[in-house]
Amino acid sequence: MNIEHRIDKILEIYTPAIKNGQETIDSIIEKYPKYANALRPRLEAVLWLLNAKKNFEPRQGYISSSRQYMEHQFETIRPHGFWQRLFSRYTPQRWVFNMAAPVIVVILLVLIINSAILTARLSIPGDPFYSTKLLTEDIQVALTFNQLHKTDLYIEFSRERTTEFVELVLEGDYELLPVAANRLETEIIASLHSLNEIPTQNQAVEQPMILQLRDTLTNEIFMLNMLKDTSPTTAYPGIELAIQVAQSGLMALR
Amino acid sequence: MPARLDKDHELIQKAQRGDTHAFGDLYESHAPVIFRYLFAHLDSRMDAEDLTGEVFLKAWQSLPKYTERGVPFLAFLFRIARNVLVDHYRQSNRLESKSPDELDGYKEEGNLEPVETIGNQMEHQKILRVLTTLRPDYQSVLTLRFISELSPEETAQVMKRSVGAVRVLQHRALTALRQEIEKTG
Repeated sequence: MNIEHRIDKILEIYTPAIKNGQETIDSIIEKYPKYANALRPRLEAVLWLLNAKKNFEPRQGYISSSRQYMEHQFETIRPHGFWQRLFSRYTPQRWVFNMAAPVIVVILLVLIINSAILTARLSIPGDPFYSTKLLTEDIQVALTFNQLHKTDLYIEFSRERTTEFVELVLEGDYELLPVAANRLETEIIASLHSLNEIPTQNQAVEQPMILQLRDTLTNEIFMLNMLKDTSPTTAYPGIELAIQVAQSGLMALR
Repeated sequence: MPARLDKDHELIQKAQRGDTHAFGDLYESHAPVIFRYLFAHLDSRMDAEDLTGEVFLKAWQSLPKYTERGVPFLAFLFRIARNVLVDHYRQSNRLESKSPDELDGYKEEGNLEPVETIGNQMEHQKILRVLTTLRPDYQSVLTLRFISELSPEETAQVMKRSVGAVRVLQHRALTALRQEIEKTG
């Protein structure tokens, strides 16, 4: 048993005796001379606390006289049941806040996502949101299982790539033209593959699609030839590449 | 102690069924201990009396969710008392930050006590001055053990520490108190 524990035991045993006046600090120390140095200051502190305790006692008769008043209070204030506790914790304002907060967050999220998609749709190669635009297109294709609709999408994306290419030329971003031409080629090939995969019984629907792609490519060639005349020579390789891609697509359509 | 716990258990069960008289019995047996604890932290007897009542009202309101698993009723009361004290200090600080005109006699409350108690009041202030110089955990362990007369086990439950930790804390707190008494004379 260490000294702390030993002294604590002595205090526990003799505190009531000191309180009743049966023992004094000296009489206890006489019994434990070995611990005298450690025991004396603590016993003095205990004695001081026991004397101090008298000052902290309630007034004579206060507890019994206040009991009646308290019992009356207990009568008027009933203990809170489960529902009371729940409703006291959640005030009407808090309920409204709890309901409104997620709705507001969802609305804000929808608005943010919507505006991001709209910005992405209007973007061209080189814009920060362009990769989002390509990603949403890929998702659209992945989620379209009907072959006719899928072909329609590919043709629409081919038209989008031609528009982007023209915009790049008009804005003078010539260094992006080769990459844009390659992307146009990929989209035209995908459209042609998709057209080939349409079942033969759907040829009536297929014809307008072929015409649509042909118109797109013809217009692209016409536009690019016009732009080539007005653009600097640095733009030529990119524009030439795009014209070749469009012409190859037309040939494949025939 | 087990006899007291058994009695408490019986009274709590009655009180939980809505018996205010049973809770009155619990009030009568535990209010002095709670009062001493509160008064050892406050400089006004009236505040200590008000807060003792508040502790028991809060205990009464929380009684349906009180379960005796591991926490004796006295420890439950002391936890409420500690929270009530914290709220009281917060409120006092708010009031003290106001101008004297706004205090509405709050500080004067102690002066309303009878003339014959002024001597006791001064003695009380002297004791408080010594106790409040100690570290809060030293003050708590000494108040609980020697003013409220809780056992080391009960003190440990109130302070949410092990009995061993309470013994060590008490050992150091007594040394610190002795030094403080010597300093203040």
